[in-house]
Amino acid sequence: MTGEVTGVAAPVQVAGWRRAVSILGSLQGYVGLVLVVAFGIVTRGDTFLSQANLTNAVGAFASRGILAVGETLVILTAGIDLSVGSMLGLASMVSAMLLVNQDLPPVVILPLCMLCGAAMGLVNGIGSTWLRIQPFVMTLATLSVFRGIDRQLSDNVSVGTQVAGPNGALTGHSNTFQLFGTPGHNLFAGTLGAGVYYPVLAFVLVCVLCQLLLSQTRFGRHVYAVGGNETAARLSGVNTDRVKIAVFVLCGLLAGFAGPIDAAYSASADPLAGTSYELDAIAAAVIGGASLAGGRGSVVGTFVGALILTLLDNVLGLNAVSDNLQLIIKGCIVVVAVVLQRPDLLRSLAHFVRRITARTGRSS
Amino acid sequence: MPPIPDDEPPALSVRGIGKSFPGVRALRGVDLDVHAGTVHALLGENGAGKSTLCNILSGALTDHEGSIELAGRPVRPHSPRDAHRLGIGMIHQELTLVPDLPVADNILLGAEPRTRFGTIDKRRMRARAAELLAAVGLDLDPRAPVRQCRIAEQQLIELAKALSVDVRVLIMDEPTSALADTEVRRLFGVIRTLTARGVAVIYISHRLEELEEIADTVTVLRDGAGVGTRAMADASRAELIGMMVGRPLGEMYPGEGAPDAVAGTRLRVERLTVTADPAAGRAGLHDVDLTVRAGEIVGLAGLMGAGRTEVVEALYGVYGAVRGSISLDDSRYRPSSPRAAIRRGLALVAEDRKTQSLVLDNTVRFNASLAALRRFRRYGRVHRRAERRAVDEQIAALRVRTPGGEAVVGTLSGGNQQKVVLAKCLLTRPSVLLLDEPTRGIDVGAKAEIHGICRRLAAQGTAILLVSSEMPELLALCDRIVVLCEGRVTAVLDSDEASQEAILTAAMARRTVLAGAASGGARAGEGR
Amino acid sequence: MRTRAIARPRALALAVALATTGTVLAGCASTAQTPASAGKSGHFVVAYSQSNNAEPYRAQLNIQLKYFMEKYKDVELLPIADAKQSSATQVSQVQQFIQRKVDALIVSPNEPAPLTSAVAQACKAKIPVVILDRSVNTDCYSAFIGGDNYVAGKKAGQLAVSLLPHGGNVGELQGILSDQPQIDRDKGFRDAIKANPKIHLVVHREAKWLKDDATRITGQWLAQGQKLDLVYAQNDPMALGGYLAASSAGKQKSIKFIGTDGLAIPDGGIRAVQQGQLAGTFIYPTCAKEAAATVEKLLHHQKVAKKSTLDIVAVTPANAAALYKQNDFSRYR
Ligand SMILES: Nc1ncnc2c1ncn2[C@@H]1O[C@H](COP(=O)(O)OP(=O)(O)OP(=O)(O)O)[C@@H](O)[C@H]1O
Ligand SMILES: [Mg+2]
Repeated sequence: MTGEVTGVAAPVQVAGWRRAVSILGSLQGYVGLVLVVAFGIVTRGDTFLSQANLTNAVGAFASRGILAVGETLVILTAGIDLSVGSMLGLASMVSAMLLVNQDLPPVVILPLCMLCGAAMGLVNGIGSTWLRIQPFVMTLATLSVFRGIDRQLSDNVSVGTQVAGPNGALTGHSNTFQLFGTPGHNLFAGTLGAGVYYPVLAFVLVCVLCQLLLSQTRFGRHVYAVGGNETAARLSGVNTDRVKIAVFVLCGLLAGFAGPIDAAYSASADPLAGTSYELDAIAAAVIGGASLAGGRGSVVGTFVGALILTLLDNVLGLNAVSDNLQLIIKGCIVVVAVVLQRPDLLRSLAHFVRRITARTGRSS
Repeated sequence: MPPIPDDEPPALSVRGIGKSFPGVRALRGVDLDVHAGTVHALLGENGAGKSTLCNILSGALTDHEGSIELAGRPVRPHSPRDAHRLGIGMIHQELTLVPDLPVADNILLGAEPRTRFGTIDKRRMRARAAELLAAVGLDLDPRAPVRQCRIAEQQLIELAKALSVDVRVLIMDEPTSALADTEVRRLFGVIRTLTARGVAVIYISHRLEELEEIADTVTVLRDGAGVGTRAMADASRAELIGMMVGRPLGEMYPGEGAPDAVAGTRLRVERLTVTADPAAGRAGLHDVDLTVRAGEIVGLAGLMGAGRTEVVEALYGVYGAVRGSISLDDSRYRPSSPRAAIRRGLALVAEDRKTQSLVLDNTVRFNASLAALRRFRRYGRVHRRAERRAVDEQIAALRVRTPGGEAVVGTLSGGNQQKVVLAKCLLTRPSVLLLDEPTRGIDVGAKAEIHGICRRLAAQGTAILLVSSEMPELLALCDRIVVLCEGRVTAVLDSDEASQEAILTAAMARRTVLAGAASGGARAGEGR
Repeated sequence: MRTRAIARPRALALAVALATTGTVLAGCASTAQTPASAGKSGHFVVAYSQSNNAEPYRAQLNIQLKYFMEKYKDVELLPIADAKQSSATQVSQVQQFIQRKVDALIVSPNEPAPLTSAVAQACKAKIPVVILDRSVNTDCYSAFIGGDNYVAGKKAGQLAVSLLPHGGNVGELQGILSDQPQIDRDKGFRDAIKANPKIHLVVHREAKWLKDDATRITGQWLAQGQKLDLVYAQNDPMALGGYLAASSAGKQKSIKFIGTDGLAIPDGGIRAVQQGQLAGTFIYPTCAKEAAATVEKLLHHQKVAKKSTLDIVAVTPANAAALYKQNDFSRYR
């Protein structure tokens, strides 16, 4: 393109074509995922691609993936939420206790858990806006508080969700609760063949909804604006405090949503469930291209980041790589994936190499 | 103009410089010779490639075509540090200070004096910083964080920083865009001492009258290519403008075109008072009265720190609630937040586009529509097509030079970024437009366009309050000029009685102010 | 000129910091001797430092210890101190108890080495110390009570041998690889299954004692097409996690699961054996009852065994119900 760029809008067709190119260009970000999948197919083709295996892999990560989506929202506003793991733990405990002690139907439990999560998010949000506590510090504090409440509630004893009725069989509600993600229990089984594994469905749904929220709504724009330049956002009429509180509440809400999934996946709520999940969530977001400085990232990216993490684990597991080696390989692949996603990094690396070679060439 | 010795090689000589960015050819084959002890001006429209050229010379951009020679020796600066070692210093168009570090630390960043133990010698550092600050005529506490300084002060701090290294070539990218007349004088004084010492200065500005005063030679760029070099004394304004835009341009500040307003008062401000907040670098306002009628352009003049920015920011709700009574179209208006201000039809082009107005990492479209998203709402979503159409229209109307609405704002040239800010404000369809240095860093042609837009908006009934450090701009554009000094109104000049002298006298009327303060204090006392 | 009073608050803060540091240093120098909280004759104060309350096994131990201690009327158990998996925290807790001059101390060491000196200090202060489950590197304690992880693994292996008379493929879900119980249980299990050369340990992976990790890993094994006849998990949650994965693949009937821990809680291993999810588990003793009895004896200057290793009780479908009843302390919570 020449310097003769005009400000006038290009014709619509050209714009559409250009958009397609830019979308293709952004696919560059998925190189890491493509590599992992390719590696899986080459080494363990049919096993890796089998529906059961993929369901297993994605389902195991689904609750963390949902946390990562909420985390992405917070990170986009240049904040961070370290308490997601604790919120998930508490929500999963609440769901199990509501089921076991109150015998509530799962359709009631889910919204209650989300409410509970949203309330926790509200605490984070208010602390980091009105009290002007840095999100890192605020959520570090609530990480501990929420975990403490979780342990206090459960008295450090895990609560099983498979409650047997008087006749030895599972009670109705407990049976339904299994649909939240106990392995082997699928939604719509029968009507839709093998059915749909709820954690996977929920994760994908959450991703789609949140991506739409970010890209299609005013709120989404405000999120990016607050993270990109808070002053500019405020002067443009964005209620920055409200946006920040809202992302924390959403993050908590999603943690509450993921709680029952986590409980059902293990068929029990462990008082330590979700410990250090915040690291996985942040990792998924950042691998997916979110910038911890705010203003950059997307839910689609986070989805890809989560897939990279879980499929990588799956591929290494399928190849029976030893546990110690797995740790090393996982770390390295994450670095490689992030570098591959950053064309500017590659370019400046190329420039650097050229400079060095030019210099040595000159001196020799 | 000092004589240029023919035998000596130029201090800086540049041949065939070219540079491409993805999608944009910013420079092609530019040649430039800058002689020691002279001021060489670069002139060109927004986006012509001036900053890009200078960034290459100062090592901020690498990977370019062409060659650079310093005093006859070929060099290739790889980083700003590299350039410093070679004796090339640069003041960037956008400020590059660390906001939370003290002034002294900023000035000597990277060149801190050390004690015997390798720790920073704070005392010497402060002394040196104070020296450099004095050299640029600033009276600041070197320990105050830069965040507290107004943007014009920051600009001068940048200059002090550039002077802290021993430079042979000093590049100044629009150093005066945020300065008022007196500060410009001081800057020129500094430049003259430098050239007398044999420093070669490359000077970028869109203000032709400045170039006439300070520059010896001028090179004009257009669309990334050099169009010619002239001795400043031989070049007429018309010729230079013609070279820049490639076509003759009409009168710079066409005469009174604004129709005399007939409508009622749109904005009435009485006894606006804001307490000073040194921590935020905010001057105080004391009982400021002013009115703007619909269709009127009112100017706010004054020196740095007089409170001009504070007036528009207070009206816009940046400081939350303020004292005083304000009415909009005869109904009471209490500033509370920018959000509320926008709802009431106010819009602000803030003083500093980088920190206050733009999300630099995001696109032109995102930025332009940010304040007006409400307009494009449909079924709870942002209606993309309507948004894009409105933004594209505005981009075209303001002639923003960009590859398109999806370009990242941070990659636009400074002047074009400013136009995006203006586009953002205009998209909210304001009835009161608050402009704080709206033509900062905007080229002559575009400036005329923006003036035209202001007049057109006024003609359509918008009330405009304009803060500007450029007196010709105020004189040409405003129906009335309110002059501030130390937070108080010292004069209200109608367009027929306004002149540079009258404005300056009122802007420096310290005595009047102090007397006013005494009587004002008495009045306040009586009131209670 | 804008000046700010930066210097003064800074100086103040510095002064406060210095003062605090000074006080702390002084405090250290004169190992403050607070009077003992226990005074009345015939009334003893006992402290217990737990390495990590959050593990279900240890939560169970806490409950039981409180219950058994209450049976001795002349003994008062201070609120249980939770070291939260941090050896440093635990050392400081033990030191606090020494300063309070408690009459006896029970410690579940988080790690042997860091706790050694703290236990030695208690011993020097003439406070009887009862060590539970994990040892320390000194002999200067009054009694050690623990289970034997090697035996736990070995018994599990023997159960595996009897469950697979014709041999078969076995998978092992391991705890954190560097944990001593993991190392011992693993060794015991491997030694025991050597009895039948037709039993092959085909896969083993680290599931970090966690249920969800076990589910995921077992799922991967099944996806790989591993033909497994039995899975040994080093704790019950991992065994149950593996069971979940197997039942999702419809293989819960063909694969047998063996766990360890045998907690009598609704979500624990004994229940799972009762319900047929696990083929068997092993009650790893909490030692609470024995610890309480030992402390009581020590306080009355009676002789106790320096080192006692408790039996590992096997839980089978036949005895599960009885064992659950016997070990259920939920009503004393
Ligand atoms: N990092 C970048 N990426 C892409 N394009 C860029 C980048 N930097 C500059 N450009 C483009 O290069 C061209 C020249 O920009 P430059 O900043 O040099 O203009 P300028 O002459 O300094 O204008 P102004 O007077 O507005 O400051 C512009 O079209 C700009 O959009
Ligand atoms: Mg520029």
